[in-house]
Amino acid sequence: MKWLLIIVLISIIMLIAHSVSEQYKDKYDFILNLKLFLQQFKINVAFRKEKINEFISKIKPKRQFSLFLSEYQNYLSTGSINLDSIKLLDEEDKEELMDIITNLGKFDAQNEISQLDNFLASLEFKLSKAKEDKLKLCPMILKLSLLFAIGLAVLLI
Amino acid sequence: MLKDYLPREIYNLIIKNFSFADINEIRMRANENLIIVVKNKKYYLKDDSGNYIKPSTMIIENFIRKISENSIYAFNDNIKNGFITLPKGIRVGICGTVVMEGSKVITIKDFQSVNIRIPHSVRNCSLTAFEYLVDDEIKNTLIISSPGNGKTTFLRDFVYQLFAHNISKNILVADERSEICSVVNGKPAIDLGGFCDIFTNCTKEYAFKNGIRSMRPDVIVTDEIDLDLDLNAILEAINSGVAVIATIHAKDLSQLKKKKNFNRVIEEKFFSRFVVLSGDEGPGTLTGIFDENLDCVYCR
Repeated sequence: MKWLLIIVLISIIMLIAHSVSEQYKDKYDFILNLKLFLQQFKINVAFRKEKINEFISKIKPKRQFSLFLSEYQNYLSTGSINLDSIKLLDEEDKEELMDIITNLGKFDAQNEISQLDNFLASLEFKLSKAKEDKLKLCPMILKLSLLFAIGLAVLLI
Repeated sequence: MLKDYLPREIYNLIIKNFSFADINEIRMRANENLIIVVKNKKYYLKDDSGNYIKPSTMIIENFIRKISENSIYAFNDNIKNGFITLPKGIRVGICGTVVMEGSKVITIKDFQSVNIRIPHSVRNCSLTAFEYLVDDEIKNTLIISSPGNGKTTFLRDFVYQLFAHNISKNILVADERSEICSVVNGKPAIDLGGFCDIFTNCTKEYAFKNGIRSMRPDVIVTDEIDLDLDLNAILEAINSGVAVIATIHAKDLSQLKKKKNFNRVIEEKFFSRFVVLSGDEGPGTLTGIFDENLDCVYCR
């Protein structure tokens, strides 16, 4: 019984650690998806010139990014937006995202592309930060949690 | 249709005070009274307290964002030409600051006014003139009127009448500004009958040249020709045995005569019929039909 409890406790700790580390991965994936979205959109603006709605409807997003796209489509139809459902973003990220959302599609192709280049440049910095967090913090959280769990188990034994 | 684009309060006031089917134009100028044109008469839109509605710059900018579906870049070619065509043939003229690079127009920004023109199909409006324009063959015809007096409506109905009278002709519509057929997303919003091939959003020169080569038209129909730019394309078509039906802006023949190159039109007998329309008894009033020597063959 005692061993079973120890195993359950270690599992719970590791599960929590895993979900915390996943957030860093999700954030990295989200920013990477956003970057790819803007790059594809830039190509669209330069060549195909599909309207934003048509362009978005052809994208098959994953996980949190699908929330962003559905919020964006909602903004296009109603003019209002709420990014609270995207939990992994902090306030600063949300402000930047709002800036992107409210400014896309406002200009002729030439200026739109310049604007997209600016967004992409600022995203590049965020992406490298998120990548660094993902590579450093994810294994560290898992390792520390494992150590903590083992320590707790030793104490309990 | 406009419900999706106009601010709700403005739309509600319009449908409360006017019959939508009668409206010709809705004019919004930044911070000026909103004007509704019904059967060529102007009315100011007022709210329930009797105050004039004055759309702000923001309202106009938002309206243009909505009609461009938040994708200005996708409509820039239209915006550069000063208009966007909406489904059902509604045409929105746009004014603002024109951004130029050398002599090339890049875009229009800081939109200041829009003119929403709602087309009305007036079936059989060309019937009186029809017998003068078609006998054994379709005559090269120039339809003349000042803006808003029914040239395009006449032209559309004439094309439809060719279909309705089963005059089996291949009709090429050179619709440079998508005004004749109001093509949106590749689909014409206006029924011109089943004989039409449509080139839209291209120059008349391109449509005439490529249309004659590829579509073997018997008739080419086009809107708002420029006697300075389009005469060579028209001459090429006529000399290829293709009839041309075109429209031009002028109040009447005397005003048309003052236009550059009109002498060439008469001397080289480009057109064998001139149809003059006016707004005397409402838009599209047929004032007269003239032959190639400008002698009247039908006078009201």
